Amino acid sequence: MSEPGSDDYRDLFENAPCGYLTIGPDGRITKVNATLASWTGFAPDRFVGQRLHQFLNMAGRIYYETHIAPLLRMQGSFNEFALDFETAAGERLPVIANAVERRDADGGVLFTALVVIKATDRRRYERQLVDSRSELQKGLTSERETAELREQFIAVLGHDLRNPLAAISAGARILQRSGALQNQKELRVLDMINSTVTRMSDLIDNILDFARGRLGGGITLHRAMRPLEPVLEQVVDELRTASPQRAIDTRFEIVEPVNCDHTRIGQLASNLIGNALTHGARDMPVRVGAKTNGDEFEFWVANVGEPIPEAAMERLFEPFFRGDVRNSRQGLGLGLHIASQIAQAHGGRIAVTSTPEETRFVFSMPLATTAPN
Amino acid sequence: MDVMARNNVHVSGRGDRAMVFAHGFGCDQNMWRFVAPEFESEFKVVLFDHVGAGGSDLSAYDKSKYSTLHGYADDLAEIGSALGLTDAIFVGHSVSAMIGVLASIKAPELFGRMVLVGPSARYIDDGDYVGGFTEKQIAELLEFLEDNHMGWSAAMAPSIMGNPDRPELAEELTNSFCRTDPEIAKAFARVTFTSDNRSDLPKVTVPTLILQCSEDIIASEEVGKFVRSRIPGSEIVFLKATGHCPNLSAPAEVVSAIRAYV
Repeated sequence: MSEPGSDDYRDLFENAPCGYLTIGPDGRITKVNATLASWTGFAPDRFVGQRLHQFLNMAGRIYYETHIAPLLRMQGSFNEFALDFETAAGERLPVIANAVERRDADGGVLFTALVVIKATDRRRYERQLVDSRSELQKGLTSERETAELREQFIAVLGHDLRNPLAAISAGARILQRSGALQNQKELRVLDMINSTVTRMSDLIDNILDFARGRLGGGITLHRAMRPLEPVLEQVVDELRTASPQRAIDTRFEIVEPVNCDHTRIGQLASNLIGNALTHGARDMPVRVGAKTNGDEFEFWVANVGEPIPEAAMERLFEPFFRGDVRNSRQGLGLGLHIASQIAQAHGGRIAVTSTPEETRFVFSMPLATTAPN
Repeated sequence: MDVMARNNVHVSGRGDRAMVFAHGFGCDQNMWRFVAPEFESEFKVVLFDHVGAGGSDLSAYDKSKYSTLHGYADDLAEIGSALGLTDAIFVGHSVSAMIGVLASIKAPELFGRMVLVGPSARYIDDGDYVGGFTEKQIAELLEFLEDNHMGWSAAMAPSIMGNPDRPELAEELTNSFCRTDPEIAKAFARVTFTSDNRSDLPKVTVPTLILQCSEDIIASEEVGKFVRSRIPGSEIVFLKATGHCPNLSAPAEVVSAIRAYV
């Protein structure tokens, strides 16, 4: 194979599949190849003696003056920058360019060489990527803001609901103490007010816990070693008072100390029993049990009634999940979610089995007496 | 707030009087690399990066503060006060010319003289006023800046910001003089090219020299003459240098023009 002659080099320069352009030390174009001339639609001699920016769109001009020219002086070369030429027909020619300064021994500029690759499709594709990214970011930001507002709203709402409730509760207490109410009907109304206040208060606790959990605070535990049974008894008593027509059978066999947050476990118990009272058969008792067996504490709630549909099982512990929206007694759908959060915070879990004979929620947690937190 | 770290301030040179160099839109304090060293034998030379550019502390970038040139001017005044400067010589290129003008109005004792290289009080045409650009062209520029990410990517950003002194990253640091978070670059371009400081010019009380390049498409001769006509007692020198960055393309001419004035 013979050495390429100068004609070959000239042909390569002129007809290479990229544009070549050289700029003298005075900033004026000295040479342009046939490829770039044909892409832009200007004859090569239209370039010579002109400044590069005259062939660029305005954005490209500013960019060249503020970025490319300084960088060339500072680092001698600059690769992969986007530029837009303006063609003779007034159209945009998007390109990717590399440039290098050729310098003499003293660092003076001999000339600047620029190579230009046509990049219409690539530039369009990149632009679409940039556009879709900013669209996504916009969407994400607004999603985040909405979620944050929603949770702040819940937190404020929960707080604001406590005050009027406290007033109702105090009013009922005054009536009870005054002895003003004597007949059975009036006393039943008083009981109803009390049980409603309790239920309402539980709902608000759940809302606040949910909001806090979502706002990043999580559920914090205050563990202690005092007896747990009285707490569970009290929860059951309150629920019996709130639903006097329902039966709740208990069987507690807690023989070992349980290192837990008693208020939280009481809340968990209340949520699980409340759930059983809501969904269980009215004429059958809800059965509640608790026991320790060596290294585990177990608390369970069982009721007879319609089994939980297969489809609902997976989503049972999700916030705001309600099996049947038409049933107004179901509340917010936070009870089971909060219960599972409390279980998790204790290193435990809640398991569910549901058959036509029985639906049973079992909370179990390890009895680690030295557990942190 | 450590102003020196925030603005990547570098002080060098001998001399009682300070000369403060401020870079314009596009790159960083390296823009002065051929000019500033020439003054180190007679002056205390102060170089810095605007927040968002070069080696500045990007975590200090506050969108609302830097949505006007006043945010940058406040920084400049803070640098001056942190260094205890009075009667200093201010040399500001491009948009920093107006940042210096604003700072000198806020803190009149800070500068004793100002040299504005390629200044423009407003880039967008307005009635009879010729700024050189239309609003549409500036909007196109803002969009175009996104096409040139200068090698900036989310993956690269931590190494650029966290390890400015690690030489093994040197190869990746090409274009670093002009590399900016694209969001910040766009915001700086917006504040630069949409600013209007025409009404601030008459408030300048500091003797001011304007260095006007020939064939500068960013700040034309007309624009330079406008600045000259509005700053009381200002002078203008027309450079042979062409383009918008004579501090890089014709440093000797810039140096001698500054030297003749101070």
